[in-house]
Amino acid sequence: MKILISLYLKDLLRNKMLGIMVILVPIIFYPLIYWGITQFLMVKSGFEESRKVNLYYRIVDPGFSDLKDSIAAIRSLVPVETAEPETEKNGISLIVTRLNELPRYEVLLDSSNAVHKSFYGGLEEKLTAYYQTELEKLMTDKNYQKEYFRVYNIESVNIEGQNEIITKILSFIIPLMAVISIISSVAAASVELGSGHSEDKTTETTLTIPADRKDVILSKFFTVVIYGMLAGLVNFILLVTMIIVIFKNMIGQVEAGLADFDWGLIINFKNLSISFVSLVLIAFFVSLIFVTAAGFASKRKDGNIMVSPFTAIITYLPLVIVIPAIEPNILIAMTPVLNIAFALKLIISNDLNIAFIAEAVAFSFIWVIVMYRFLFPFLLEEEVLLGYSNTSLIRKIKIKMGKWKKK
Amino acid sequence: MEEKIIIKNLCKEFYDPQRGIVKAVDNVSFSAYKGEVFGLLGPNGAGKTTTLRMMATLMKPNSGSIQIAGYDTENDPRNVRRSIGYMSSSTALYPRLSPREIITYFAELNDYPKNEIPMRVEKIIRYFGIGDYADTYSEKLSTGMKQITSIARTIVHDPPVLILDEPSSGLDVIVAQKIHNYINDLKNEGKTIIFSSHNMGEVEKICDRIGIINNGKLLTVGTINELRTISSKYYLEEIFIYFVNEFEKRVENAY
Repeated sequence: MKILISLYLKDLLRNKMLGIMVILVPIIFYPLIYWGITQFLMVKSGFEESRKVNLYYRIVDPGFSDLKDSIAAIRSLVPVETAEPETEKNGISLIVTRLNELPRYEVLLDSSNAVHKSFYGGLEEKLTAYYQTELEKLMTDKNYQKEYFRVYNIESVNIEGQNEIITKILSFIIPLMAVISIISSVAAASVELGSGHSEDKTTETTLTIPADRKDVILSKFFTVVIYGMLAGLVNFILLVTMIIVIFKNMIGQVEAGLADFDWGLIINFKNLSISFVSLVLIAFFVSLIFVTAAGFASKRKDGNIMVSPFTAIITYLPLVIVIPAIEPNILIAMTPVLNIAFALKLIISNDLNIAFIAEAVAFSFIWVIVMYRFLFPFLLEEEVLLGYSNTSLIRKIKIKMGKWKKK
Repeated sequence: MEEKIIIKNLCKEFYDPQRGIVKAVDNVSFSAYKGEVFGLLGPNGAGKTTTLRMMATLMKPNSGSIQIAGYDTENDPRNVRRSIGYMSSSTALYPRLSPREIITYFAELNDYPKNEIPMRVEKIIRYFGIGDYADTYSEKLSTGMKQITSIARTIVHDPPVLILDEPSSGLDVIVAQKIHNYINDLKNEGKTIIFSSHNMGEVEKICDRIGIINNGKLLTVGTINELRTISSKYYLEEIFIYFVNEFEKRVENAY
């Protein structure tokens, strides 16, 4: 098999047209990514601008009443003084009391509300600044030493900052683009090795070497996996480079602060290793589907027709991962390729959903068994291997089914 | 004489959407000996390629048996493949590999001793006069160059039996002549060669014995002189028509 894989791979890698196509297709998508990211960020900024959130507050200690001015300065936050702020559900609530001569804040917000979370950052900044002012005033008035005060500390739970937002964006862009590049390269390679070799009759000559038919088909399959992986990796590197070098600056122009994004959050050893493993798995499953589909055609033209619907389905499936509202579920876990892409998205965004990943692994195994047990035998049939011109696909399936019934 | 190929009652059926079940090969039996060139002569669609494909283990017969170099194609296909060199009707070369690479790969794939491969490849390249274009991608070669490379690839592992499906089809006279000379040399080395063609002159020139096949049936087998005696015709074209007509008469009488 090694020799066959080497032979097939050499022939494929020297196919310049195929190579250019494989590299070009995803690159065509890159401007779309940039457009998508900028649109997302612009919409997000506009969305925040247009939203007003009520801040229901009660300052229990009148000594801190000047905090009202600081709160009023927060953009898009409408301060409403009330006696019972904690009962309000449609806004952020704040109660200010006194503890050890300093202000003590109690903030209530809906942690599932993204708007609340995004406004909390501004509020926290003002409250912290006011606390610091009061602390300095106290130290000056009473001549206290700074080291006797505990450092002000806020425990943040479920708070999303800019880094998390970019992490989220990139966590779907990276798997999506890698998957698309793998799909396009695997589709092209499958047609070349599956249908092209039948058309050129090279399949005939390789089937007369002292090897099993299974080995010949598996060699084609592994060659396609390797080719898909190589194309995926080349595109992955191109994509990451483009994101770092070009998008970083462009995104920075749209929303201040994003240019300072910590790339270590995305481009780190853990994520790269996970991405690599996921890309291998995706290449494996896409190849499994495409080599099978292309194997049924005896000409490149027919191979493209066989592969096209699968290309369309498999390309559009991963698009699901760009929909933020979609949570991991059993249907996604059941769908080959999509389940791995989705798991990759979750892992990159640091959302380790063990149940979903376990389901995805289980269903992937089931798919491999189904493909190997029920579809792979078709590829070994001489009608399919040699591509008899007068034998239709339906007939091929009927012949195979007839043989099974006899058994 | 040592029988290298023994074919008995070989049958192969195909399904055709228009014609239903078609008997591509119908009860064909013949043998070929060591150092013999056996020609299967017949028009397009006669069943030549199907017979050769079954011999090369590419297809399984519906019934009948094939033994090549002592191995049965049904029970021991791997050893059959080890004993044959098969050349399909198309040159079947990998377009972006050079003749040298293709010949080397096929020596490796056919389990030729690894340490002897470079020497063997060089010998083959020299013998077939491929040197000038040995490192050019085969997609850039002429049809004749491709065909010669294809034969070189077929014999690189030195198999005792060669199955050649219309090896000189579509070639100019000079290249066809070269190929005939190669086949003659291989015969003299003791190889058994099964050769299919619809070119009467070619078959007459290089085959020791000829099997005439039409509509899947092997009508007769013999040397050119034997066929001339039976048919009382001189030219192979006339001999071919004689046997086709004789067979049709027999079928009519049977009904």
